[in-house]
Amino acid sequence: MPKVMVIDDEPFILMMIEDKLRRAGIDVVTLRESVGAVEKIREEMPDLIILDWMMPEISGIEICKTIKSDPDLSDIPVFMLTAKGQEDDEKLGLKCGVDRYITKPFSPRGLLEVVLENLRDRET
Amino acid sequence: MKISEIERLKKDLQATVKELSDSYEELSLLYKLSEEFSGLSVDEICKTLLMELRSLFQVKTSAILFLDKNRNVLKTKEFLGQWVHEIEFERENNIFWHVLETGKPLAVCDFQESKWKMQYVNNSAVIVAPLRGKKQDIGVLFLADKEDGLEFFSGDVKLLNTIAFLASLFIENALLTEEIQSFLIGTIRSFIKALEATSLWTAGHTERVTEYALGIASSMELDATVMEKLRICSLLHDIGKITIPRDILNKVDSLDDQEREEIMRHPVIGAEILSELKGFVDIIEGIRYHHEHYDGSGLHGLKEKEIPLLSRIIAVADAFDAMTSNRPYRQRKSLFEAVEEIKSLAGKQFDPEVVKAFLKWINVSPTAVR
Repeated sequence: MPKVMVIDDEPFILMMIEDKLRRAGIDVVTLRESVGAVEKIREEMPDLIILDWMMPEISGIEICKTIKSDPDLSDIPVFMLTAKGQEDDEKLGLKCGVDRYITKPFSPRGLLEVVLENLRDRET
Repeated sequence: MKISEIERLKKDLQATVKELSDSYEELSLLYKLSEEFSGLSVDEICKTLLMELRSLFQVKTSAILFLDKNRNVLKTKEFLGQWVHEIEFERENNIFWHVLETGKPLAVCDFQESKWKMQYVNNSAVIVAPLRGKKQDIGVLFLADKEDGLEFFSGDVKLLNTIAFLASLFIENALLTEEIQSFLIGTIRSFIKALEATSLWTAGHTERVTEYALGIASSMELDATVMEKLRICSLLHDIGKITIPRDILNKVDSLDDQEREEIMRHPVIGAEILSELKGFVDIIEGIRYHHEHYDGSGLHGLKEKEIPLLSRIIAVADAFDAMTSNRPYRQRKSLFEAVEEIKSLAGKQFDPEVVKAFLKWINVSPTAVR
């Protein structure tokens, strides 16, 4: 079973994504805070990570940088959740190795589709 | 806490999360639609709306009917699937008028067995939602027959109604914009007719230049906003001639240097006349520089891309019409001669890229030119 890790400080978003992915047969690990996220990622070794950009303490982009500079983790695709109006930041994100942007409010169905697509592509 | 109670709470939570997810889906859809609709024309909004509704509700048939107030009919504006092309519905007790008048959406599971059964509507499960703007009724939205054959649920009706409400605001806005736009163009046209009436030789010149300029622009594949600016700019490009004495404009003999100089002031005068129109900056600049030469040998000495694109296009269209029209002092050139001359002036008087587009346009639409 593929494993996806979701890190976001908004509980509703977290529950919603967890519910959607689980119904599609994906193993989901959620985390509500960014502190200790990298350690948790090393422990779980997920197939894909969904990260919120704007979180207190450590931002999604910082976490992404750490992941992408760690040879053990750098292959894991990172999807970044951003708010509307942050398009300018996308360039920065791409430099830091973000694989895909999901703009809030996003379609849960659409998110599931791109996650499945990515997992399928990596299988082959 | 009892185990059964925990189980019940867990189920409740799951149901809530599911509902939350559905609401979020709706929210993101409305968000996406408003982004898509903004800046579109009425026709484009209607097309986009039906495409989105088809993929969202998975319906076989969908249609938008617009209210025609003068004739008191609801007539087909746009449709997908099986629908009678251009069909209209007169004001009587049918489902479309009922929905528009009550302002409430209506879903019918088995249309053919219902009291709403009517000619030309052969569907079984249908939903109709009103399209009502803030100030006026626009029409109705019609969806019928899901691909999977299921009925419509109350959630579908609620969602469609919300989408219809959102779409109505955008359609109403676009209708008003189009009304203002056509009023503006109409005013400009009357203005130009008045101008052309004072000159014996240039009747129809403006309309032809506009037609040629838009032809060139379409083969350059410019976007709609630029095309619209070009249309207004071409219509107004000679407006400065209004201040030039009639005897000079209508002179039969060739002009002396002073008279030529007088005539060549018209781009600047035109730009000054329009300078009060703050939203017209691009158009005004387009008029001011429409007699510049690409190599910098023109009136203001601007060269190449320093000359606004609108001016570079109008320059070719304007020259082409002048060449192919009779003047008091010379006969018009043949189409072939005029095209050859334009070609020979590419890089000198004209932008080579515009000339290229001109040639492409004239080859595909030879009938567009007299």
